[in-house]
Amino acid sequence: MKDNQKKAWLFLAPAIICVTVFSIWPILRAFTMSFQGGPLIDLQFNGLSNYQYIFSDPEFWRAIMNTAIYSFLAVPIALIISVVLAWFIFSKIKHTAFFETMFFMPYVTSTIAIGIVFRYIFNGEYGLLNFLLKLVHLPQPDWLDNPSLSLVSLIIFGIWSSLAFNIVILMGALRNIEPNYYVLADMYGATSREKFWRITVPQLVPTLAFLLTVNLIGAFKIYTQVYALFNGQAGVGNSAMTAVYYIYNKFQIVGTPGVAMAATVVLFLFILFVTFLQRKLMKKVNS
Amino acid sequence: MNEDKFIQVNNLEKTYENGYQAIKSVSFSVKKGDLVCLLGPSGCGKTTTLNMIAGLLNPTGGDIIVNGKSLLNVAPKDRNIGYVFQNYALYPHMTVLQNVMFPMTVGKNKKPKDEAEKIAQKFMKLTHIEELADQKPGNLSGGQQQRVSIARALVQEPQILLMDEPLSNLDARLRLKIREEIRNLVKEVGITTLFVTHDQEEALSIGDKIILFHNGVIQQDDKGQDLYLEPNNQFVANFIGNPVIDNFDVKVTDKKISGTDFEIPVEKLDSTKFRGDLADGDYTLSIRPENLKLSDEGELSEVIDDVELIGRERVLKFTHAGTNQRALIDLEQEIKPGDSVKFKMNLDRVYLFKPDGERIY
Amino acid sequence: MKKKKLRWGMIFVYLFIGIFGIITVFPFIYMILGGLMSYQETTTIPPTLIPKTLRWSNYQKVFEQAPFARYFLNTFITAATTTIVTLFTSILGAFAMTNLKFKGKGFIQLIFLSLLMVPGEAIIFTNYNTIAHLGLLNTYLGLVLPFLTSIFYMYYLQSYFTAISPTIYKAAMIDGASDWEYIWKILVPMSKGGLITVALLSFISGWNSFLWPLLVTNEDKMRLLNNGLAAFASDAGAQTQLQLAAATLTVVPVLIVYFIFRKQIIRGVVRNDLKA
Repeated sequence: MKDNQKKAWLFLAPAIICVTVFSIWPILRAFTMSFQGGPLIDLQFNGLSNYQYIFSDPEFWRAIMNTAIYSFLAVPIALIISVVLAWFIFSKIKHTAFFETMFFMPYVTSTIAIGIVFRYIFNGEYGLLNFLLKLVHLPQPDWLDNPSLSLVSLIIFGIWSSLAFNIVILMGALRNIEPNYYVLADMYGATSREKFWRITVPQLVPTLAFLLTVNLIGAFKIYTQVYALFNGQAGVGNSAMTAVYYIYNKFQIVGTPGVAMAATVVLFLFILFVTFLQRKLMKKVNS
Repeated sequence: MNEDKFIQVNNLEKTYENGYQAIKSVSFSVKKGDLVCLLGPSGCGKTTTLNMIAGLLNPTGGDIIVNGKSLLNVAPKDRNIGYVFQNYALYPHMTVLQNVMFPMTVGKNKKPKDEAEKIAQKFMKLTHIEELADQKPGNLSGGQQQRVSIARALVQEPQILLMDEPLSNLDARLRLKIREEIRNLVKEVGITTLFVTHDQEEALSIGDKIILFHNGVIQQDDKGQDLYLEPNNQFVANFIGNPVIDNFDVKVTDKKISGTDFEIPVEKLDSTKFRGDLADGDYTLSIRPENLKLSDEGELSEVIDDVELIGRERVLKFTHAGTNQRALIDLEQEIKPGDSVKFKMNLDRVYLFKPDGERIY
Repeated sequence: MKKKKLRWGMIFVYLFIGIFGIITVFPFIYMILGGLMSYQETTTIPPTLIPKTLRWSNYQKVFEQAPFARYFLNTFITAATTTIVTLFTSILGAFAMTNLKFKGKGFIQLIFLSLLMVPGEAIIFTNYNTIAHLGLLNTYLGLVLPFLTSIFYMYYLQSYFTAISPTIYKAAMIDGASDWEYIWKILVPMSKGGLITVALLSFISGWNSFLWPLLVTNEDKMRLLNNGLAAFASDAGAQTQLQLAAATLTVVPVLIVYFIFRKQIIRGVVRNDLKA
């Protein structure tokens, strides 16, 4: 066989063409557009003014703040719940496959459709959640229409959505732990709690690091959940504005693609930075 | 066409991009219909050579000529070869019959289905796997898988058959059986075969001749028995033979060969067997364990460390000048560890090697 | 003493799993039940859980008020097309990256790996620009074009392809098979499990896609299910029972696929992410 099989390019051609046009070109284009002003059909170079605009736009900062609050609350909470659930399902009960199947359901279902259900459950007048809160004599706020609660509702919805993926990945990792570790621990009389903290958790560290960063990156890009929960709005008075929502707004609704692309570039660089941190972290964890 | 040089490999070289020289100018030829073993320790270049003949690797120099035609720029599928892989490389999703038929269902050599099936049946009969036709490879034993892969390799009636360690995944008993079967089969079909192995016993028993590789160089290209009796160099002497050959460090001075505690006058050696001038200096004297005979007037006085019984024979282990040596004697001669004995060297069967490994006697 | 402690521990375990199990599954059940209620039932306090009569007519109304049949068709066409073509291009690419040696392979590998890190949201808007320039807004082609290959799935398949012993490829070459024959007669049948998983994951994500079709379609007849559903939810206003019926319509087909292939889907998700 030849050492340089040129036919390889033939097999790669469809992928390379598609990737060039729809992945590489748009990245470059996003960079150039971020230095241009005007509508899509008449873009003019305007230097750094898009960047100046977004950094002085309180809306942009709100979007960043919201995205950050969402990410740094929803992700760790969901991760902790997932670890406990996965550990219980894996080690304490029978019918593991049944529960795994059940808990994974949200992963495959449409966010928009589930958003409709959550909107119904969160409804301030006749929602099920407030009915339950009333039963236990807790205050019944207006989850969706109260701007100060929009983010809380979004976080609850986000946690609900992200448990599925976490649990399934953690179950996979738990299955990969050498079962003889536990057999040995049993022989030395370790309690269930000791086994969890001394064997399971250390063995899960790489998976946890992976899930943490993947979830964070996913959370930075949150958009569809917002759209679904607030029916096409970013919450009352844009109280749940997130980064991608801001970009969408500036691009499609306001019609300032340059501003949208400047925000995209900022988000892109930030995600790249986190991905870079992830690689570093994973390398450290794995070695 | 020259039947004696059916396969000709001329100055074959393979240097990898990282500079590693796997094959350094290898040349040999194979007679039509012969079964030739490429033997050597792992990493010696034997499989690399086989893969270059098959076209799975490109040589960086030299030529491969089969039946008078160079194969260099011919794709593997057009080289008209059969190849049996160490791990059999059967297609797990196909039945045995489909596996054997596969070469006739693809590429330029497509045959009508019923004809292909008939040919496949013929070769499956030859390899005794007819009754496994509808099984998947996963259900077969190692020996059965091996037969399937041989049938598949033969089904296109290739001009040469290449086998890469075909027996190494089998257990010892089966290995003996299959290697006999392979020899009978390729002789029956009359196909020229190159057989790669690291097992000298396998090579000695199956090959019409053996090409011994080491460090990407052919050490010796000879009949099996000659490899054993007349090794070209120190490496061949050390590699072939079990138990391994005994080596004694000696000095040649004043027409005398002197080792630690023994001395042999040079005139006692057969002068016709010298391959060059025996200059004074350091040499290695090598002798096979069976050529050390128990005798009261022997040159070597030794204390036996250990005795190992291997079937018909008795291996005596002793230490001479700090190195472990062995002697092979009859079972009847009862020697125990701790016994003091004298060995006489059979001087007709002694070799002298220069420090660089070259044989001088 | 010890036994008693253990029992309390198990009660906590059951309680924890039970509560989160209900939280996970309840929205689905509530969605299906709510879609069969009357408007009054959906808005009473205390909330109704089980409708008195199952109002299947809600579904009739949904189909009358919005072209859901058309949404289904559109969604199926785009999800199936992207899945099939993505599989095709990914198989070819993964084959080349696994079995062939060529100059520039390392470079391509590097580019592909870097592109894996690019978030889709960062390029989706400029892709909209491209599609608009090509005049492909509100067309099937525009909906599928940027998704006809996936580096992610290519990598995923590569992990399956490299698991096949390289001697199988060599054997096929010696048996006289061309690369094309090797791909379709050996590689594909031997990687069936991986291909089915990729097909399922790709189809499901195509079925649930939202942001891209939202950008490139604005005509009602070109909308996909989720966009149609979102629009319907706004248009249907307070008709909660109809919203829930429409949501059920969107979710149930995927859930059926999920329940049939749950093993492949879960295994697939676990596999690719443990490798990452």
